[in-house]
Amino acid sequence: MPVEVIGSLPPDIADLVERHGRAVAAGDLRATMADFRPDRIGQLAASASLPVDLESSEVRRLVAEPDGSVTAFIRYRAAGGAAILLRSRWVRLAEGWRVHQVRNLPETPPRPPTEGPSDGGLDAPHWQGLRAGELRIQRCGGCQRWIWAPRPMCPNCYSTDLRWPAVAPAGTVYSWTRTWQPFTPELSGHLPYVVVLVELPEAGGRRVLGVLRDSDAATVRIGQPVKGDFDEPADGQGWPLLRWSRS
Amino acid sequence: MTGQRGAAAVVGVGNTSFYKRGTSPHSSLQLTLQAVLDACADAGVDPRDVDGFVSYANDSTEGLAVGAALGVHEVRWSSLVWGGGGGGVAAAVNAAAAAVISGQAERVIVYRGLSEADDGRQSYGKGHFPPLLSAHGVLTPVQVCALRTQRLLEVDAVPASAMRALVLADYHHAQNNPEAVAYGRPLSAEQYADARIVSEPFRLYDCSRENDGAGALLVVAADRVPEYSGHPAYVLSGVQGAGPGWSESVENDDAYTSAGFHPALVERLWAQAAVKPGEVDVVQVYENFSGPAVASLIDFGLCPTGPDAGAVMTLENLTAPSGRLPINTAGGNIAEGFVHGIGLAVEAVRQIRGTSSNQVPGADVSLLLGGPMAPLVSATLFGSESTL
Repeated sequence: MPVEVIGSLPPDIADLVERHGRAVAAGDLRATMADFRPDRIGQLAASASLPVDLESSEVRRLVAEPDGSVTAFIRYRAAGGAAILLRSRWVRLAEGWRVHQVRNLPETPPRPPTEGPSDGGLDAPHWQGLRAGELRIQRCGGCQRWIWAPRPMCPNCYSTDLRWPAVAPAGTVYSWTRTWQPFTPELSGHLPYVVVLVELPEAGGRRVLGVLRDSDAATVRIGQPVKGDFDEPADGQGWPLLRWSRS
Repeated sequence: MTGQRGAAAVVGVGNTSFYKRGTSPHSSLQLTLQAVLDACADAGVDPRDVDGFVSYANDSTEGLAVGAALGVHEVRWSSLVWGGGGGGVAAAVNAAAAAVISGQAERVIVYRGLSEADDGRQSYGKGHFPPLLSAHGVLTPVQVCALRTQRLLEVDAVPASAMRALVLADYHHAQNNPEAVAYGRPLSAEQYADARIVSEPFRLYDCSRENDGAGALLVVAADRVPEYSGHPAYVLSGVQGAGPGWSESVENDDAYTSAGFHPALVERLWAQAAVKPGEVDVVQVYENFSGPAVASLIDFGLCPTGPDAGAVMTLENLTAPSGRLPINTAGGNIAEGFVHGIGLAVEAVRQIRGTSSNQVPGADVSLLLGGPMAPLVSATLFGSESTL
């Protein structure tokens, strides 16, 4: 299949990307790293996720960006037939073209292995609610105050009559951050990702966190309305996670 | 602590080199001991006469272990300030002051030692990232501070240039401090802007380093100062705290874009010291990240919030010797080195002594701010003898 080219490419980039794809597929780490911006090799190497048994690469699309950079889409095939698409962004430095961003496509939210109730278990009803397809937030049965993070008693009236009503998983973005750094190995393949802090009007303005879906090309803004869904664990063993989408 | 003003003083300081994290040839305890011996030598004190120990940020070495290693005659007092990160650095100085003012101890060492080989990575954040944060990919302090700083920029309209000026001031000062990790490595505005993104809005240079090292300060009662050879920096006032609706709230803290220095705490600091914000000569402001440090200066009224912050937060204003608000004159956590801010405490004292590598001429009032956007925050205002 021919490479789809969008815009007017600089002369040398197509061959370079082709060669880079072959180096990655061949597991040639030295050649792969040599194409990365030297000040971010560690970040780039851990950002994308690829199986170890790659057999081939195919440059699918090259886009000449208005700022002079080039975006490359390379599809890799593993021995078992699985296809993995990576998008890399190339910039021209004094020493030549180098990769300064890379990510897996389509974007998928990370799932660090810490889901589920905390050690103290104060938040257990919240997690059980997610399994039931509900967003449950702690509320005092005495003074009706919404409480988050969960507490052992109401910090307002000291009642221990603590309830867990379900609220609509809908609200507005109170703040956000897009994380690029692969802090743990489990983040590889999911970077960058956007975490939103969402203010819940049905829970008295209490705020909950979650990954924003489809954020790759999105401009995120505080105040944007978002709606939540419950992302089931792939193996059925873990816990669902609250995810957010722009509504 | 009524009556605190000028009643205690730091008469000795010491610190080790800042090693690249994980490369110290010495353990946390060894590093701490080295810093303590330096502080004692500076003060002209026999280390065996130290009788109190205080640290913070879950230091892995108990004060009693430090005392035993020194072979002290007696431990009369020991304490550890709660709260992750560097929020306790000034609180530890204040605690030592309280001990000597009340007569519970006579010579108290404030210390912090860190060796990643002993303490692991990110020892400052342990226990502060429950599943309600971490399962959503919020795994580190930089992301929490990024969420808060993003709102500081987007809603409070503080310009990002304020963060850049703070970082560049740190690097500028480090070029005159041969002990700084960034000595000989100047940073340009272009390098700052072109660095890799860690978590928006923070790029690499917005983030503090992590180093192995240790620092120590020796605190004594003011009426005993003449017994020691170290030039004294008096504690004019000290505060610590977590305001209403602050701490351990999975990002539900009130005053979300503040650094955590709530108005009552700020007012106490100035009132106890009988000092006005405009009388501060030099500030050591804890920069876990650039944004929280900017928020700290706003909390204390040293910088306006909103777009006006940009006019105060300029490289010219923030640098010694002639800036209006010189900060982090040894390079700070970002450019001198990071051992949970103990280096900032040492530098705050140096300014009073006139021995900083970027001395503010005639500095009489020196402010130390610890731990922005952390569960606990604290501040100490040091003064020279002339302020008493």
